[in-house]
Amino acid sequence: MYGFHARLLHIDLNSGKGSWHELEESRLRAFLGGIGLGTSLLYDYAPPGVDPFSPANPLIFTSAPLVGTGLTTTAKFAVVTKSPLTGFIADSLSSSFFALELKRVGLDALVITGRASSMVYIFIHNHNVEIREAEQLRGRSPSEAESLIRSELDSPAGRVAAIGKAGENRVLFATISNEGRHAGRGGVGAVMGSKNLKAIALCGDQESRTADPKGVEAIAESLRQRSLGSLTDKYRNIGTVANLAVFNRLGSLPTRNFQQPTFDHAEAVSGETLTENNFSRRHGCASCTIRCERLFKSLTGEEQRLEYETLFALGPLCGIKDPEVVLQAARLCDLYGLDTISTGGTLAWAMECSERGLLPGAQELGLRFGQPDALLAAIPAIARREGIGAVLAGGSRRAALETGGETLYWAMHVKGLELPGYEPRSLKTMALGLAVSPRGACHNRSGAYEFDFSGEVDRLRADSGRGALVAASEDFAAVLDSLIVCKFLRKCFTDFYSESAELLSKVTGWSCSSTDLRRIGERIHTLKKLFNVREGWQPEDDWLPERLLAEALPTGVAQGVSLTSAELQGMIQSYYQARGWDEKGFIPEKKLWELGLPIMQNENCKM
Amino acid sequence: MEAEQSIADATAVILAGGKSSRMGRPKALLLFDSEPLIVHIVRALTRMFAETIVVAAPGQELPHLRATLVRDEVPHQGPVGGIYYGLRAAKGHFCFVTSCDVAFLNLPLISYLLSQISDCDVVVPYWQERFQPLHAVYRQSVLPLLKEQLDRGELRPIFLYEKVRTRKIDEDEIRHFDPDGLSFLNMNTLEDYESALRRWQPPLSISISVPVPVSCTVELFGVARLLAKTNAVSLSLPRGATLSNVLSALAERLPVLVGRVISPDKSSLFSGYACNINGLDFVRNNSARVHPGDKIFILSADAGG
Repeated sequence: MYGFHARLLHIDLNSGKGSWHELEESRLRAFLGGIGLGTSLLYDYAPPGVDPFSPANPLIFTSAPLVGTGLTTTAKFAVVTKSPLTGFIADSLSSSFFALELKRVGLDALVITGRASSMVYIFIHNHNVEIREAEQLRGRSPSEAESLIRSELDSPAGRVAAIGKAGENRVLFATISNEGRHAGRGGVGAVMGSKNLKAIALCGDQESRTADPKGVEAIAESLRQRSLGSLTDKYRNIGTVANLAVFNRLGSLPTRNFQQPTFDHAEAVSGETLTENNFSRRHGCASCTIRCERLFKSLTGEEQRLEYETLFALGPLCGIKDPEVVLQAARLCDLYGLDTISTGGTLAWAMECSERGLLPGAQELGLRFGQPDALLAAIPAIARREGIGAVLAGGSRRAALETGGETLYWAMHVKGLELPGYEPRSLKTMALGLAVSPRGACHNRSGAYEFDFSGEVDRLRADSGRGALVAASEDFAAVLDSLIVCKFLRKCFTDFYSESAELLSKVTGWSCSSTDLRRIGERIHTLKKLFNVREGWQPEDDWLPERLLAEALPTGVAQGVSLTSAELQGMIQSYYQARGWDEKGFIPEKKLWELGLPIMQNENCKM
Repeated sequence: MEAEQSIADATAVILAGGKSSRMGRPKALLLFDSEPLIVHIVRALTRMFAETIVVAAPGQELPHLRATLVRDEVPHQGPVGGIYYGLRAAKGHFCFVTSCDVAFLNLPLISYLLSQISDCDVVVPYWQERFQPLHAVYRQSVLPLLKEQLDRGELRPIFLYEKVRTRKIDEDEIRHFDPDGLSFLNMNTLEDYESALRRWQPPLSISISVPVPVSCTVELFGVARLLAKTNAVSLSLPRGATLSNVLSALAERLPVLVGRVISPDKSSLFSGYACNINGLDFVRNNSARVHPGDKIFILSADAGG
């Protein structure tokens, strides 16, 4: 088969055995690779209602048809499992050489179940699977584990993804890290830790073939050219940190746990200021011409990667105005393997509760907005589950439920996942996108903010046109995430669906149209929702934190702007309608049949 | 006894710090007569008053105004708070107080209200069985009473009227100047705003006016800021200038932006860049008009992160 190996490797850590299975072409055609394939396998491999930390919860790594084609921005892989943070689907992406190697060992999907009796790592060398002792790596940072394992491998070309202490300790927002990048959201690292799996090492030489190499090369060259144009200027020349100053000016920068949409010290921590004062070097993933990563140098001389989301979450969201502190906090998160958005969001919750006298443990640590020492002390405490860190390791929702009282009001999450750096009250399309996203408050599984930032809609006003926009944006993201193409290339396509369909046809030899791809996007998204429904989703799970609905924006250009429950409810209804779901958000049987998803009709439809 | 000031020394006070909650967006920045409403109101009142004060909430964003800006010390204390802070900052001994959502100010009516202040402390119109406290004249001597009201949490101005010498202007007097009471037509909802826009008839120019330049500020973000090594520049443009004119002027001022941010013809942005006016409207049409006091942001067209 072109574009795929059509093979799945299932490793059962209970027995330490791996077994190879054929992947049916029908599944690959229906879901492609990446997030789509991962979601489809999660549905089949996860027992309904499984505890995320049960050995039976599958941890799934998937490759995709475009991986290894040399096409810019496609060196990516997906990690899919049932999230311990949300109880729903966790579908995370990461990238670079590990992604290329995953395909080179000759598989499209790696499904890991079971639990090893002691800490281990998996080494896959083409068709050979070894479970190796890793107790000596316990407590090591992901990058230390990565370099120790690489030095131990037979081949220097081997690539490693690993968890840090946070994953070992099942911190609910722990990441899986490779080459300094992370499969970040939803606690995939905690699931890996629950399996006593420290790392996965890969080494292979199985090339995958494309049906029309010359045709693929021509498209690759054209996209490469386009990837170097004005449309990616931001990513190539400043990076995502550029968002901070703009969002602040537009009243869309969540500050001090969403108390304000502007930060008085935004200039001090802006991407522009960091670039002028701390820039060290530019970096990129394997096979990428955009190279958006920025490394900044701290006063100690250490280099630290920084993205907008990390900068916002550990900066303004926590009231931190010193870029040096943000860099140190980001370094700690990387060292322990923590999702920076959830870390910042959970700490901001703790700071707010501490200032209101509702969380004694946080008060003892001195956690307050803008206090650097307490912030830097709290991150290791979370990773080690020490003191108040043990409470915070559950994320803001669980910590608030444990603490009780009014603290739940200050927990800024959707479905348990902490909100990213896009203020919903001044970005109304995004507000809807965040409320209905299957993985919780997520800015990546739809790009709903795009409509707000383009002038296509009135970003300050809610209306019933948003449902269709959000649905289209989710389907679009589902296709990007399953081919896989980086979102930072998305604007370089003139007509994404027809160009991608042509590309997929040339890679796989299938005859694929833009209509097929749109249908695939809808199918993938619908299956994510279907999985959530199976795991207990209820209509109230599609909602935003009460603070956002009770408080008007107090500062900035959108001062006075609010989002009411009725407005949110109206937008959600418009979304269900656009999706063809019922008014409570459940999926009618007819829709499942239409998408070729009759698999769970009996379980789902009668709810 | 201190000398009574003349009406010519009166101050205009515009309250702009309200929550605009029913409107869903800052009322002061609604576009009216091709400019933010607050600019429109300030321009009308500066024709008549020696001093104009705008009272805003702390941190509230406003375009550049030919007025003195005063901030509420405590936000959202309602009109009494705004009247108090405005009156306290005024140089004139009496002030005409209005809000930032009245598009149809009637200068002859305001002049009449001022003329009635000599023997009293407050002159307030009574229209359709309601006092119009935000279209009224207040003497500075009522400041202590307003302070007491604030301390007690009495946030409605009418409590003041029974305590001081208040001259009520009834409907007949008002109709003499403003038959339909348009002066009191404030805008609380988008429907009010749309209806006001429909009603608006631009006044006919009665003389050949001297072209007044439009001053605006261009704020740069991201790559544009790094290239230009500056956060903002002020530009002066001919009246009627468009976004395209702004980009040409910007290209002249900062040639480093041409070929990267601004296209070589100097009249548009490259596809990777976008323009937002006053933080509210993303503008894709280069022939869009630019208004005095506008803040024009040049930023990346991609908000991904």
